[in-house]
Amino acid sequence: MGGRALILVKGLPLPKHHIFTDFSCNSSSAKLLRLRRNNNSWGRRNFSTWATNGSSLEPPDVPRLAETARISLAPHEVEEFAPKIRQVIDWFGQLQAVDLQSVEPAIRADTQGDNFRDDVPETFENREAIIAAVPNYEEPYVKVPKILNKE
Amino acid sequence: MASTVFRSLQSFPFCLHPTTLFRRKNGIFYCTIKGKHSQTATQEKQTSNVKVSSHPAIKTLDKILKDYEAIIGIETHVQLSTLTKAFCNCPYNYGSPPNTSVCPVCMGLPGALPVLNSKVIDSAIKVGLALNCKLSLNSKFDRKQYFYPDLPKGYQISQFDIPIATGGFIDLDLPVEFGGGHRRFGITRVHMEEDAGKLLHSDSGSYSQVDLNRAGVPLLEIVSEPDMRNGIEAAEYAAELQRLVRYLGVGNGNMQEGSLRCDVNISIRPIGQSQFGTKVEIKNLNSFSSVSRAIDFEISRQVQLHSQGQGDQIVQETRLWEEGAQKTVTMRKKEGLADYRYFPEPDLPGVILTDEYVKDIHNSLPELPEIKRRRYEKMGLSMQDVLFLANDINVAKYFDATIAKGADVKLAANWIMGDIAAYMKNEKLTIDEIKLTPQELAELIASIKAGTISGKIGKEILFELLAKGGTVKGIIEEKDLVQIIDPAEIEKMVDKVLLDNPKQLEQYRGGKTKLQGYFAGQVMKASKGKANPGLLNKILLEKLNAKSS
Ligand SMILES: [Zn+2]
Repeated sequence: MGGRALILVKGLPLPKHHIFTDFSCNSSSAKLLRLRRNNNSWGRRNFSTWATNGSSLEPPDVPRLAETARISLAPHEVEEFAPKIRQVIDWFGQLQAVDLQSVEPAIRADTQGDNFRDDVPETFENREAIIAAVPNYEEPYVKVPKILNKE
Repeated sequence: MASTVFRSLQSFPFCLHPTTLFRRKNGIFYCTIKGKHSQTATQEKQTSNVKVSSHPAIKTLDKILKDYEAIIGIETHVQLSTLTKAFCNCPYNYGSPPNTSVCPVCMGLPGALPVLNSKVIDSAIKVGLALNCKLSLNSKFDRKQYFYPDLPKGYQISQFDIPIATGGFIDLDLPVEFGGGHRRFGITRVHMEEDAGKLLHSDSGSYSQVDLNRAGVPLLEIVSEPDMRNGIEAAEYAAELQRLVRYLGVGNGNMQEGSLRCDVNISIRPIGQSQFGTKVEIKNLNSFSSVSRAIDFEISRQVQLHSQGQGDQIVQETRLWEEGAQKTVTMRKKEGLADYRYFPEPDLPGVILTDEYVKDIHNSLPELPEIKRRRYEKMGLSMQDVLFLANDINVAKYFDATIAKGADVKLAANWIMGDIAAYMKNEKLTIDEIKLTPQELAELIASIKAGTISGKIGKEILFELLAKGGTVKGIIEEKDLVQIIDPAEIEKMVDKVLLDNPKQLEQYRGGKTKLQGYFAGQVMKASKGKANPGLLNKILLEKLNAKSS
């Protein structure tokens, strides 16, 4: 079910992980991406697509979660994380138990709307800095390992 | 060369005419894309078609195909022609130097927050309404997670469980060449999302290249109900969507540039069976004719497997259409459903629409293709004319403007579809680029109808106006082209021609009456093409026959 991997990313100290399986990750851009993940407000939001199979949620399949998030875990790390993730899932189990019969489902928790922008082009002035942070760039393209038909 | 499967496709029975394949090459889809097929290619097709239909094995397959039904659904991605990307101010222009239109938002850099372009909402509502959908006044964006090098953020901002529009339909008319007929296909949903970058494969094949200009460009994904039954219906569905986005002005619908992309799902089942067969997806369809041919090929392939007891070889997979080989090939087998781990996009607020906002957009919608076609039909035009004129919004506008100036409907249609279309094709111009205005076309038609100029002179004036502009009245005056309708004047010219051609006159009177055409030509020439042809012939005949008795 969607979302489990997020908890893994958000709630725990991050082990070494790869942004793209095929990318080498020793560059500054990888650090930026890692930073982004930590700064993100994922956990605080309301997940409307959360599974609702009663109070007993399935135990986490940690190796699979790690794979979907492109995180490499050693066997001892899997063992270490499993109970911690289990704890978080159990907490969601408690939330599931709340009686919401009379409550209208919310699409978004923080809906204000009308937060649109006009369709007016503006060129970002510091493009060089962005390009400089790309791990592997060969003018004018971002260079990546050969892509096989795999998603 | 072609396998049995491919060859059998050429006499595919779902098509209404045996010449389907041949015809299709001639741009039957009324699509506005430029036809790339040369005459030679057409000839080749025709020859092989004829050869193949007499093949005994093919007849058997034709028979088998009749026992099956194909179920076809299409997912279409329409790129919106906004000036900026969906969630950042980066300008988007097709063909810009790679990686020049990027910023922290579309590159997924930390701290950058997306803000929705209002034009994306406008366009989505327009398309939703035009497709007769129910709009969600309260929807949201979701993250679809997957890892791919053309997706800098590691997720695509899309809409998952609450798309902006659902449950609509689209009406279209099949081309007369395919037997015609009206069709209504269901629309499951329309949702907003962002495009990924473009992945290029280097020639050496040792690495790939990414251009992120397209990353973050707004798309509408339009999902059809599985209502199509053959390649023609599917191609016409795609062509109608193209027409719709062009009429609405929300996208250019250009398939070659990838502004309109179709992924097709196909399954077959024996007629009478309610359970669906295994669904196969086809990608890489970049023209209407490839949509049509790929589908017909795939139906044929699946039916053959099924009828030979090899139905288990039809697996859930994505296949690519190979234009060169004219066949579909395995791209990847699906190993269960991909887990995209959707969840609501935390960086964007919900999308809330008011009834008033929707109503305003509804009131601003142009006349849509289906409505236009029905209106043209009511004006008495043939379906062939209707489809031609309504195909391209600019042609339709031109036609509408011409008849608004009082031009005869059928004559206006004939001029536009005949000489004007031919001129545009020769000169590679669009109707907006020709110098003849609708006003002058109406004037020209009226002048011919009133007898001021002959039809022949009318044509000459037309070509002059097309190339140089100006007015009908101006050219008539300048070149002294007013038709001669004075019988006395014509009589004088006839007399002179008869006098100048005594030998031919003698032959005519001796029984060689075919020479009438020769005399008529001489008189017309003498009048510089201005003599009224009816009068000319009447007077000429009288004179020719009068003195012979
Ligand atoms: Zn940008």
